[in-house]
Amino acid sequence: MSDAPGIDLAADAAGTPSAPRAGQREPRARRFLSGLSFSNIGAVYVWIVIVAIFWIWVPSTFPTGGTVKAVLNDSAVTGLVALALTVPLAARIFDLSVVGNLGLCNMFVAYLFAHTSLSIGVIVLLTLLLALVVGAVNVLVVVVMKIDSFIGTLATGALLEAANTLISKEQPVNSVRLSAGFQKISSTQIIGVTIPVLYMIAIAAAVWVMLEHTATGRRLYATGFNADAARLAGVQTSRLRAMTLMFSALIAGIAGIVVTATVGSGSPGIGPPYLLVAFAAAFLGGTQLKGGRFNAWGTVIAVLMLGTGTEGLSLAAAPVWASSVFTGVTLIAALAVTGFQRGRVRGGAASGEEEPAAQLAGAG
Amino acid sequence: MTAQTPQSLLSIEHLSKTFPGQVALRDVSLELRPGEVHALVGPNGSGKSTLIKLLASFHQPDPGAEVQWQGRRVDSLGDLDTRQLRFVHQDLGLVAELNAIDNFALVHGYAQRTRLGAIDWRRAAARAEELLTRLGVDDLDVWKPVGQYTPVERASVAIARALDGLKAGEGALVLDEPTASLAPVEVSRLFAIVRRLAAAGTSVLYVSHRLDEIFEIADRVTVLREGRRVATREVSELDQRELASLLVGHEIAELTREVRPLPSAGAEPSIAVQGLSSKLVREMSFEVGQGEIVGLAGLLGSGREEVPYAVAGALTPPAAGTFSVRGKVASELDPRSAQGLGIAFVPADRGAEGSIADFNVAENITLPQLNRFTRSGLIDSRRERAEVQGWIERLDIRPPLGTKPFPLLSGGNQQKAVVAKALALEPALLVLAEPTAGVDIGARRLIYRLVHKAAAGGLGVLVSSSDVEDLISLCDRVIVLRDGREVRQLSGSELTQSSLLHAMEGSQQTTAGVDGGLL
Repeated sequence: MSDAPGIDLAADAAGTPSAPRAGQREPRARRFLSGLSFSNIGAVYVWIVIVAIFWIWVPSTFPTGGTVKAVLNDSAVTGLVALALTVPLAARIFDLSVVGNLGLCNMFVAYLFAHTSLSIGVIVLLTLLLALVVGAVNVLVVVVMKIDSFIGTLATGALLEAANTLISKEQPVNSVRLSAGFQKISSTQIIGVTIPVLYMIAIAAAVWVMLEHTATGRRLYATGFNADAARLAGVQTSRLRAMTLMFSALIAGIAGIVVTATVGSGSPGIGPPYLLVAFAAAFLGGTQLKGGRFNAWGTVIAVLMLGTGTEGLSLAAAPVWASSVFTGVTLIAALAVTGFQRGRVRGGAASGEEEPAAQLAGAG
Repeated sequence: MTAQTPQSLLSIEHLSKTFPGQVALRDVSLELRPGEVHALVGPNGSGKSTLIKLLASFHQPDPGAEVQWQGRRVDSLGDLDTRQLRFVHQDLGLVAELNAIDNFALVHGYAQRTRLGAIDWRRAAARAEELLTRLGVDDLDVWKPVGQYTPVERASVAIARALDGLKAGEGALVLDEPTASLAPVEVSRLFAIVRRLAAAGTSVLYVSHRLDEIFEIADRVTVLREGRRVATREVSELDQRELASLLVGHEIAELTREVRPLPSAGAEPSIAVQGLSSKLVREMSFEVGQGEIVGLAGLLGSGREEVPYAVAGALTPPAAGTFSVRGKVASELDPRSAQGLGIAFVPADRGAEGSIADFNVAENITLPQLNRFTRSGLIDSRRERAEVQGWIERLDIRPPLGTKPFPLLSGGNQQKAVVAKALALEPALLVLAEPTAGVDIGARRLIYRLVHKAAAGGLGVLVSSSDVEDLISLCDRVIVLRDGREVRQLSGSELTQSSLLHAMEGSQQTTAGVDGGLL
């Protein structure tokens, strides 16, 4: 386009010498330092503090390789759910039904093992298909019927709970077949960690590439930040929203299969407890690294930070309620450390009419 | 200027403001006389916003400023603002869902109570009406959500609210770009309010980008440039050209239209529109030739504001009609299919429609055509950067950094980036809605030059604007709409401010304001 006829405006633009050399990025060192700032990775600093506290509190058992593995292994499913939420959130879609979907898939897998003789591969495929059907229902409600995603997926989530209860009659579903080869899906160890950790990392990497290095990801963010402007720029916002709901459903299905392999049964009520922690992690993750954009590694960092605390508390034999207190306190701490300056910058940048210098000064 | 004359209401001298790394204001003085309308003008970055923020005590000035109110020394500007100096900011600060009574109460609380302490709605309503009547506005339903008011009615509510608690003729009012979103008739209504206030004795500090308004409404004008006061002058001793050169800092040519060769007859038009109908527009057909700049004029509600959206496929439901571009014909356009036809769009509302505030400049520019920078599924960020840098240099976007968060650019530079986004599509037709809303005179001229240059290369341009200067300086031909239909076409020597306004208003009896005010 630079050689498009008639739009070569360089002659006009040259009225005054432009101040800094155009196109220069910030020096590498400065970029590196600002990458380490509180406002960029506040959660990491809180994480370090958490590690230090438990190191001192339970010096005999906390600072060990076993703890590291345990944190990773126990965070895997939460991580999958949080990553499932991250993608729709980037487009400002809340998918509250992921945990219901996870629960239903858990029950469905167990039911198929208990009542049919289908092979593992077929069962896994059928379950993923079920998860995608749930996603399609969400698309119908949120994208086609244009019901607000928060309410819409709350509603479909309730329906999924009902389906779950219908299958389970509120009793755990067990099968000897569940404890056989199927468990390998979650119990296989590779380089010291169980395989779900690798699922989490692989999916995080995929989400990272998709959100930050593809056109689809850029358009997803555009949809989330300003759907009207995105649409006017030719972005197919509805199609993207639908895509995110299908994605979160698929990951919920994977998480449901992994959970079943881990616990070895279909357990009523296994899904909902993941909801708040996963949302908290996704939101905290959104404040990390990419300044206000929901992103994969931010989410993973947040999940691991919360997982570290939970692990430390159990090693310290803290009472059960301490875990929730910890989650609440760390979230607030991490958001405060990260969000403080950023909120002010954002606030100051509201109007385009203002002078940049004044804004920056007002913000700093 | 003699600041100490007894007739001054507010006099400020040696006002400076230093931000880390930049002096925003340098030894500025400003004097307001009772009952005067004092215009404050300056390009983006001139320190105008900083001055307003200092007056509003949003910032503290550097030490050394001397402030006097009615001849008496005041220690700080902060002592003034709540009592005598009142503000109406550009966004008005109203809550659209609330009615006028509630909007008044947002600032002042519900003063009218029954004996039991409940809100006395009848008296509250009466009070609101009284405040509005003081402005000469007596036909407003104060129970209606202000979102349903016209823009000028909203402005009058904001002004009335700002003046609540002052006696008639007291104090000073700062109006920050009050006409940015007003149609010409509405501007004259607002001016009537401003004149009424000034006649009663209230001083008005009037901040504006539109030079014609200053000659219309102001008694004196203070020009800021690069943080300094360039001049304070009686408006009657100035002409447009002089004021413009004070603003730009050098002599500028008379505002003239570039005489350009008209598109050759017989050549295929950039776009041919047949039977365009939408909420406001009825069965309109028109063409834009290659290299032709066609304007759309009309009062608010005439359909002028809807046509660009219809052509860009931005209306829901889509407008009826057929659109032929480069031999391709389509109907039921959406933004994507319009782009596919070769139509690029710069919407009226830069913030809500034209840009994404959480994106940086580069991301905004490349959003419509990310596929061009995608190599085997991944965005090639080096190519993206290079492309963006080309546009930044060509349009002189400042600062020249693609990584700059979009909202940190000045209004004019934001608009340049939005235009860059559209031109980067290499369209056959460029559709502009309100292309110079809220940009300063320098950026306005640059945008005019950009559009002229682009048209010289064969691009057809369709411009809808409420700003008469846009239409006259920019367009080869202007289509005037009234009640959704084309009523007149003006081009060449017919295209003047008075003929344009006359056609917009219609041949029947015109509203007093327009004839008396704007012509």
